Amino acid sequence: MSFLQPLLSGILTGGVYALAGMGMSLVFGVMNISNFAHGDLMMLGMYMAFFAFTLLHIDPYVSLVLIIPTAFLFGFMVEKLFINRVIHHPHQNQILLTIGLGLIMSNTALLAFTSDPKILTTTYSSSAFNLPGGISLSVPLLISFLITGVTIAILYLFLAKSRTGMALRATSQNREAAQLMGINVAKMSAIAFGIGTALAATAGALIAPTYYIHPLAGHSFLLKAFTICVLGGLGSVVGAGVGGIIIGVVEAMSSTYWSTDWKDVIVFVLFLAVLLFRPQGLFGKKGGE
Amino acid sequence: MKKIALSVIAATAVALPIFIGENPYLIGIMISVLMMAALSSAWNILGGYAGQYSFGHAAYFGTGAYSTLILLTLNNSLNPLFCMAMGIIVASIIALITGSIVFRLRGHYFGLASIAVAEIVRLSVLNLEFTGGAQGILLSDVSLWGIDLNSKNPFYYGMLLVLVVTLSISQYLRTSKTGYYLQAIREDQDAAASLGINLAFYKNKALLISAALTSILGSLYGLYIRFIDTSAVLDLRLSIEIILTAIIGGVGTMWGPVVGALLLVPLAEMLRSNLLGDVLVKAGLVSETSGIGVFLKENLAHAHVLVYGIITVLCILYLPKGILGLFRRVK
Repeated sequence: MSFLQPLLSGILTGGVYALAGMGMSLVFGVMNISNFAHGDLMMLGMYMAFFAFTLLHIDPYVSLVLIIPTAFLFGFMVEKLFINRVIHHPHQNQILLTIGLGLIMSNTALLAFTSDPKILTTTYSSSAFNLPGGISLSVPLLISFLITGVTIAILYLFLAKSRTGMALRATSQNREAAQLMGINVAKMSAIAFGIGTALAATAGALIAPTYYIHPLAGHSFLLKAFTICVLGGLGSVVGAGVGGIIIGVVEAMSSTYWSTDWKDVIVFVLFLAVLLFRPQGLFGKKGGE
Repeated sequence: MKKIALSVIAATAVALPIFIGENPYLIGIMISVLMMAALSSAWNILGGYAGQYSFGHAAYFGTGAYSTLILLTLNNSLNPLFCMAMGIIVASIIALITGSIVFRLRGHYFGLASIAVAEIVRLSVLNLEFTGGAQGILLSDVSLWGIDLNSKNPFYYGMLLVLVVTLSISQYLRTSKTGYYLQAIREDQDAAASLGINLAFYKNKALLISAALTSILGSLYGLYIRFIDTSAVLDLRLSIEIILTAIIGGVGTMWGPVVGALLLVPLAEMLRSNLLGDVLVKAGLVSETSGIGVFLKENLAHAHVLVYGIITVLCILYLPKGILGLFRRVK
């Protein structure tokens, strides 16, 4: 088999992982919170796309128009109601709170949607785009990757150019100083968490046509998102983007050249290797560890 | 006063099987309570005293259970205590590797790395041949010094013994040099380091003690249940239950994990056995065949994790120091 096949498929899947990782990294940067509910937010995005498709007959990619604002509002509310109240608590309590919220989300989904995995089958689900050299790229993954690219571009412009984006970056750099400059940091936290949730849900919706949709699917995505964030440097949104692509490629390569069963193990070993050799991540500031 | 209370608790705990010995269901719940209390106390040595929250303690529990059962299925005549010791060695190696990678770093890395290590262990056990893979391991027969290991009482006393040992270590740590060092690390790493405390060494020490005790409990559980698979002994859910038990009782207190286990384990059991549904049906509030009745019967068994989630959130928001924290005087 051509070496390019797993490389290209890996990059396509990695783009979606990057989206999830960037959401987590943004929340970490602005709020200094490790969000353990991130995977479950992705799972909710998968179900939103599934129900938009089966009940409202909206194409999963078109349904993003509904999913993104809904997820943003949901995240904004969750921050205001829960996360906001532990922002000055010890880090462990924040983690436990998000674990608790994640358990509530996944187990409510388990009660509501049962543990039978759902499959979202569109007319183009199994169609592939053939490149010269015998390489074929799955059409849904290709569309997902393009949408990911657009989303990242919008996110970049928003963070770089808009006033809110600048305020978010300022809060991320130094919360106290930002507050002294008149930035409403509490509001920035809620916005960051809203954007983080929207990115997670978007990533979930984008992989829904190519994955089993299951209430406990968030678990494995959570760990991937963490690996991506640590690889890119905790809090670095750009780093998370690159980290996501790397994880996607590593996964695809290990599935092709070794075994699908071991691909997650390799990702976690990579995670430990990063902690051992480059704990500040690829793009993190030195001394941050 | 304290001594009298302790003697009463100890006497009750020792005599309990004599009173409820006829009821294997109740003694089973008591074994679960003792096990969760001991697991949570062992976690508390690292999480509560040293402030290093491990989110992957299931790895050490599962290592103990798997090591013991694998060895016994290979050679039935082995002494279970020897198998337990081998479990401790494997768990210690995993703990040392984790500790040596992560304890050089500060911040949030230990929590994240502990999950990664636990997942590596879980997925490896699931994918390897000699561990039984997804089917798990079934142990047919086991014997130790002619004790009847088919009855539950030996395991009740076994769990009780490990709990007492764990609590004694906790008590010793509270007033020993190591314990003070660990608490100093928890309160302020920089200050502790500036006073010459070797941070990595003492964190590793706490992790090793905690992992070894957890592994022993895993071995005991494996011998007691005699059927294990990854979802029973290596799941992230187990790691979270261990932490939650400590949080509800009071992290960093000696008796907090015991209080937490006494509350949480019976609660989970009530949900699992659909006691709530039965009570509602008996009270005539819902009919057994109605939609709600059927829904409760079919779903409450799974709902205990949902209830754990709700309790975690409420506990962090309203009772972050746990139940024992309520009774502590402000210093």
